[in-house]
Amino acid sequence: MRACGAGSLGIAASAAATLLAVSSLALAQEHAQWPAPAGDFANTRFSALTDINATNVASLKLNFAFSTGMLRGHEAAPIVTTDTMYIVTPYPNVLLALALDAPGAPLRWKYESLPNASSQGVACCDTVNRGAAYADGRVFFNTLDGQSIAVDARSGKEIWRTHLADINHGESITMAPLVVNGKVLVGNSGGEFGVRGWLTALDAATGKLIWRAYSTGPDSEVLIGPDFKPFYAQDRGQDLGVHSWPPDAWQRGGGTVWGWISYDPELNLIFYGTANPGPWNPDQRPGDNKWTAGIFARNPDTGAAKWFYQMSPHDLYDYDGVNENVLLDLDVGGRQRKVLAHADRNGYLYVIDRATGEVISANAFVHVNTIDKVDLATGRPHYVAEKKPVVGQVVRDICPHAGGGKDWQPSAYSPITRYLYIPHQNLCQDEEAVPANYIAGTPYVGANIKMHAGPGGNRGVFSAWDVAVGRSVWEIKENFPVWSGALATAGGLAFYGTMEGWFKAVDARTGRLLWQFKAGSGIIGQPIAYRGPDGKEYVAVLAGVGGWAGGVVSGDFDTRDASAGNGWGNAMADLPKFTQKGGTLYVFSLP
Amino acid sequence: MSSRCPEIGICLLIALSLTACEREDRRFSEAAAAAKAPDTITQSDLQPGGPTPRATLASPYDDNAYAVSQGKQLFEWFNCSGCHAQGGGAIGPALMDEKWIYGAAPENIFASIVEGRPNGMPSFRGRIPTQQVWQLVGYVRSLSGQVRKDVASSRSDHLFMKKSEQSLPQAPPAPSSPPPQGQ
Amino acid sequence: MGAKAIVLVGAGLAVLASGCTSNHAALNPAGPRARHIADLMLLFVGVSTIVYLVVIAFLIWAMWRRRARAHLQGAQATRAAENKARRVIGAALALTVVVLITLALADFFVQRFLAAHPADALRVLVTGHQYWWEVEYDDPDPSQRLHTANEFHIPVGRPVELVLTSQDVIHSMWLPNLTGKKDLIPGHTNTEVLLADKPGEYSGQCAEFCGLQHAQMRLIVRAEPAAQFETWRQQQLAPARAPQSDAERRGQEVFVRSTCILCHTIQGTDASATVAPDLTHLASRGMLAAGTLPNTQGNLSSWILAPHRFKPGVQMPATALPPDELAALAAYLASLR
Repeated sequence: MRACGAGSLGIAASAAATLLAVSSLALAQEHAQWPAPAGDFANTRFSALTDINATNVASLKLNFAFSTGMLRGHEAAPIVTTDTMYIVTPYPNVLLALALDAPGAPLRWKYESLPNASSQGVACCDTVNRGAAYADGRVFFNTLDGQSIAVDARSGKEIWRTHLADINHGESITMAPLVVNGKVLVGNSGGEFGVRGWLTALDAATGKLIWRAYSTGPDSEVLIGPDFKPFYAQDRGQDLGVHSWPPDAWQRGGGTVWGWISYDPELNLIFYGTANPGPWNPDQRPGDNKWTAGIFARNPDTGAAKWFYQMSPHDLYDYDGVNENVLLDLDVGGRQRKVLAHADRNGYLYVIDRATGEVISANAFVHVNTIDKVDLATGRPHYVAEKKPVVGQVVRDICPHAGGGKDWQPSAYSPITRYLYIPHQNLCQDEEAVPANYIAGTPYVGANIKMHAGPGGNRGVFSAWDVAVGRSVWEIKENFPVWSGALATAGGLAFYGTMEGWFKAVDARTGRLLWQFKAGSGIIGQPIAYRGPDGKEYVAVLAGVGGWAGGVVSGDFDTRDASAGNGWGNAMADLPKFTQKGGTLYVFSLP
Repeated sequence: MSSRCPEIGICLLIALSLTACEREDRRFSEAAAAAKAPDTITQSDLQPGGPTPRATLASPYDDNAYAVSQGKQLFEWFNCSGCHAQGGGAIGPALMDEKWIYGAAPENIFASIVEGRPNGMPSFRGRIPTQQVWQLVGYVRSLSGQVRKDVASSRSDHLFMKKSEQSLPQAPPAPSSPPPQGQ
Repeated sequence: MGAKAIVLVGAGLAVLASGCTSNHAALNPAGPRARHIADLMLLFVGVSTIVYLVVIAFLIWAMWRRRARAHLQGAQATRAAENKARRVIGAALALTVVVLITLALADFFVQRFLAAHPADALRVLVTGHQYWWEVEYDDPDPSQRLHTANEFHIPVGRPVELVLTSQDVIHSMWLPNLTGKKDLIPGHTNTEVLLADKPGEYSGQCAEFCGLQHAQMRLIVRAEPAAQFETWRQQQLAPARAPQSDAERRGQEVFVRSTCILCHTIQGTDASATVAPDLTHLASRGMLAAGTLPNTQGNLSSWILAPHRFKPGVQMPATALPPDELAALAAYLASLR
């Protein structure tokens, strides 16, 4: 069994050699472990393990389950080192270390971060946390009230904690940090609270702040210097983070960094997206609203920006740009190019040259009626005029909705099939823009939203996207939005969870359902695969419905109000019939 | 028919017109009642020796349509709607049902706004004047049908999201509150 | 009786005369648009007056003539009278048609003139609120968009396109010296063009009943030479003046820690709320509360303490502050030039 696994691992590794992430595996050490939510620096969420594969997955069994004791949305990925699994729970952000080398994986230790309870009032979309990161014997994670904490992986003792965000200005932190070159990269949340977004690098050893790059404001604070070479003309100029806003509006302009960070060690660049500009009501912020709703490439050591591309200039619909940037090498017109694939909230899947920021292709991966095309010459999307929100008027059937074609839920890329597995939603909305009143520490939105299912009536989709060709290969329709992350394995499988609580394994090539398991609560977490201390392959996922889409259950909304949870009340009114609250870790293996 | 009928009719008419006055009265510079914060708040029904009978402070605007509609406007202006939506809840709990985590009495709602609550409700002490807090209390109560139907709003200026406060069914507060959610 | 009539006529003339000098009068046009409207009005009033006098004269004449000629009888006389009446009626009809067409044409050409929107206009967005005016200057560079309230400046000689909307009920903007009335409607935009050819301060007024304080919803437009306007614009674009004295510092502290911060903006502080007027350069304005009170430190204090005394039904709540805090707050606000 062990030998067989190693053999196929070799094949898989050679198949994956085209993939940058695999050729520079500083992080995942042959993918036997899973030290960060995305598995690797390239954000592929690909496991080279093949023990569990298309032929035997039908006999996959629950190995153990472990309750987190929390009820809110569990969006985190468990992370795994040689013999320990670490789970960070939603608020109150308890870090659990499970001993994988003992039968039943008991708690090795438990670290309570005790965040300020008031921070729950500035968490726009449930009190989630997207995971921890492991590096050099330490586990790093963030708390809802804006702290970054390093804990000793062996003892569970706190090494440092740094307070970064201020809840009285609406800031919180929900993202999973990424550790690059001895620096912990952390960004803030609060795009619905009029915060000013930033990404910060902390010294992994001490927790001291090394640099902070804001997403709005003068070049000196955005860390735009002589190295900044954006590909498109509209991104060149002095202090665009000030001049593309009404006076002072950049101070509360959003552009938070609550999503995923990728890292390319060869180029020594990190890539991350900035969130929506605030408020949602676009009339209150004329201009392109730089540097929100776009992707930054930066030097991780200095923070200096290399390039920027804005998917949604003057964003109209809360189309955050924070979705994962999957780094891969792609054959474009006979030439191998280092690209990143980014399935954006605005419904387009961008393939961008990650050295220069040039958009190679942009194709709609969902039903989009707000943007009819992306002009590849200028890089600008063309907004459809009749779908633009207007103050005091109701614009019907805006697709995709505020949650986008796809929200935070990360996709996975298999270098074997060369498909990107995208968990996403199929939702549209009616919207009325209303004036937003800025009061520090309270929501700053300015839109009345009523969401509903898109064409076809199914609210979610799990699809496989051929990045090279730029089209969908197969699609699985789901009743509810697919709010979980995806996992691809060299065993020819793709895993994802549904909000009803089904954890599914499908054939990576055809999308045929091969195995499923019904968890105790809806799944919005990120599945992972790892090799346990006993040499066996395991697949793990956290269940526990919630998040923005699952607030109807985790926040006990009254769905007689269609606007509950920013419009989800209408779209998800029937979710409580299918699932209830409760966080549990599920770990599966072959018998 | 007896001869007293017209008198009863006249009395009824006078009574009706009086209630109409109260309903429409616009008290711009309210003094006493609204300016005094309640000091009878308890959050537990459990007290050694049994609960002390307490007079629940009447919300001063339960019968004043103008104040309740002002409360509805303030509910948006002060971003209450950002967290409680239009009563269905979002970051904060729903306000149109029978569940009250920190007490359903008007003084409890008043205290929730002024003092804040530990699981995320901000404190608006010193930020919202007392009179406006009471207007908000009136509107919040109208969301679960705790004010008279002819006092509650009958329409909204915005996208239709729920039945108007006037046509929402009464949701009498449950006797004891469920614990805060989440943990 | 005679004395009364003299008083009345005198009063009427006085009103007319004041109309010719007032900064809130359609009869004192300060720009071509208002002038066209005033001319059209004078034309209508003149023609109507003449028609009225002629009709009345004919009426009196007819009554007198009927009595005088009542004895005339006979078929021949009747026919002659009928022919004459036909001619008179025909002539009168023709004259009426000519007069009406003339008036209609005059109206048409004035409307056409008013409807023409110049391409090079300065765009100003005006939003009506109960009971104040929000003003924002459009600019291709969004960071040059200036925000103010109730009082705004325009350059003399340059057309200004107003984009009008409302956030609550229907209001109407009326700047009689500069142009006619135009409604501000929630969820809809109207446009109106201003063009002042004389510098001066012109007064405006909400002209559509919008609530209790409709009468106290005034607007001031100051027309000034281009250079002076630019100076004003730059001054208004600057962030709020930082507090200098201890009282001002204390006042700023009070502002951001009290009721003010929930509704008002002072650029450069945490206060960025937009449901009430922007106060970044409050002291540069002549009046308080949409033309209700002259802008003095004393009035500021009284207004903050009890706005309903001056403007019952205004949305601003009474704020009970201890005297020292109130004084500090007023000092701070009065320093925001």
